[in-house]
Amino acid sequence: MRGVAPRLTQLGLLAVLVATLSNLGLLNLDLLVRGAGNIAVFVAAMFPPNLAVLERVSWALLETLQIAYVGTALGAVLALPMAFLATGTLFGPRVTAPTRFALAFVRTIPALLWGIVFVVAVGLGPAAGALGIGLYTLGYLGKLFYEIFEGVDPEVLEAVRGVGCNRLQLARFAVLPEAANGVLAQLLFMFEYNVRASSIMGFVGAGGVGYYMLGYIQLLRYDALMTAILVTLVVVLFIDWLSRRIRGLFIQPANVGE
Amino acid sequence: MELTEQPSEAPAAESPGALAPPPGEAVVIRDLWFAYRGAAPVLHGVDFVARRGQITMILGASGSGKTTLLKLIKGFLRPSRGSLTVLGRTWSAGGPDPQITAATSYIPQNLGLLRNMTVLENVLIGALGRMDTIPSLLRSFPRDMVVEASGVLERLGLGGKDHLKVHTLSGGERQRVAIARARLQRATLLLADEFVSQLDPITKTEVMNILRTRSKEAGTTYVQTTHQLDVVEQFADHVVVLREGKQVLDSPAAGLDVMEIARIIKQ
Ligand SMILES: Nc1ncnc2c1ncn2[C@@H]1O[C@H](COP(=O)(O)OP(=O)(O)OP(=O)(O)O)[C@@H](O)[C@H]1O
Ligand SMILES: [Mg+2]
Repeated sequence: MRGVAPRLTQLGLLAVLVATLSNLGLLNLDLLVRGAGNIAVFVAAMFPPNLAVLERVSWALLETLQIAYVGTALGAVLALPMAFLATGTLFGPRVTAPTRFALAFVRTIPALLWGIVFVVAVGLGPAAGALGIGLYTLGYLGKLFYEIFEGVDPEVLEAVRGVGCNRLQLARFAVLPEAANGVLAQLLFMFEYNVRASSIMGFVGAGGVGYYMLGYIQLLRYDALMTAILVTLVVVLFIDWLSRRIRGLFIQPANVGE
Repeated sequence: MELTEQPSEAPAAESPGALAPPPGEAVVIRDLWFAYRGAAPVLHGVDFVARRGQITMILGASGSGKTTLLKLIKGFLRPSRGSLTVLGRTWSAGGPDPQITAATSYIPQNLGLLRNMTVLENVLIGALGRMDTIPSLLRSFPRDMVVEASGVLERLGLGGKDHLKVHTLSGGERQRVAIARARLQRATLLLADEFVSQLDPITKTEVMNILRTRSKEAGTTYVQTTHQLDVVEQFADHVVVLREGKQVLDSPAAGLDVMEIARIIKQ
């Protein structure tokens, strides 16, 4: 009796998977063969990468990094106070619930869509990209931050609250210092993520290397596209490495028991 | 020796002290009941007095309600029934008086220190309630408070450690940082949960001696939970034992035999 329910669930999931594959046309053998052929042509056209566009693409990538940097900073500065307002150990549900709703709303809309919104608002270019990344970051980091805040050891909160301080002091002297390592780790993670997200902001005219990537695709200049992708890859790997180093510098290993 | 074995449901007789607490009574607990939301009662009619300048120790098996009782006295939890008079003020429905909160220090089981802040900063946190909000948020502590904190650390044998991060200290040193924080709070009532439980016997005695000296000299009242009979034997002035939330002993420590206490706890 006990084994039947999981087995049925497994069969159900499998049936849904097969139906969906077929629905999406992925069980169409003809299509798959044709697709594989096209990809082979596409890949062949990418090599050798066209180094003539290297300089232009590199400058565009620098703009992408700027978008990611400013967007992350902007989002984080807004996320911090919002996250405090969303923390259940500091505020009651009347404050936390609407704050969380606002964060969830901002987060639901993809960064690219925010980019379009800001292109409409402030015009084409990297400013729109940075604002779009910033808003998305607010939604995302806001949630990550309040989850860290709520994970702070309740005993630390009790001890500090017990000295008779107010809520701001509690946030400043108990929540923030205890959460600092986690906040920094999430901030670095968000920056890494935002470099990737910013690299496609150019698709909607919001600045950075994505503008060229899309252009090269439309002009069928796959060798130039390859250069853009490779340069982006190198920079992304470098940033991952860098943020690992920074993490190592700032974040001590978790402290063993009292 | 005075044993007050109480039948399970019987509320204690009204004491005249509950109406006008004499100055010697720091905490007066009368027929205190408490249940966590949606759960069965955890405390059943607890009823005792912690006197000023004394060390009251609350004993009981794990889960008997010791921590809950301390949090009630501190005001983190509200009684379901009965009355609680702390430093002369009986609570109204709105919870504890902010003045009482400021004069009552609570040291949780694992001390609640900020691991990544310095010793000095942890001690200065005790003074937050006496500071204006804006300068405190900027960590700009008045000169005299910093001097006071350093002085307290010096007297507690932590001189020269002001700028170490707390996570680098030994267990006994951390306990003393918690004491120093309470002292900066100028607390006259100190509530400590399992205070010296994790220390070796020598350090434990050292730390408890600091508390005892202070209670005799400055009249500070200590209410401490513990499960360590040696600490009770050496340092308690007054002993309360809980068993499954019921108070089964309320007695001065003098003349009390620890083996007898052990029997009452386990029974
Ligand atoms: N936040 C809570 N919500 C619900 N029940 C709780 C909560 N905290 C404690 N309890 C319950 O209340 C009872 C008393 O717990 P308490 O922590 O006061 O015991 P204790 O005497 O301090 O035990 P220990 O010696 O293990 O620290 C236990 O049954 C526990 O499960
Ligand atoms: Mg406990």
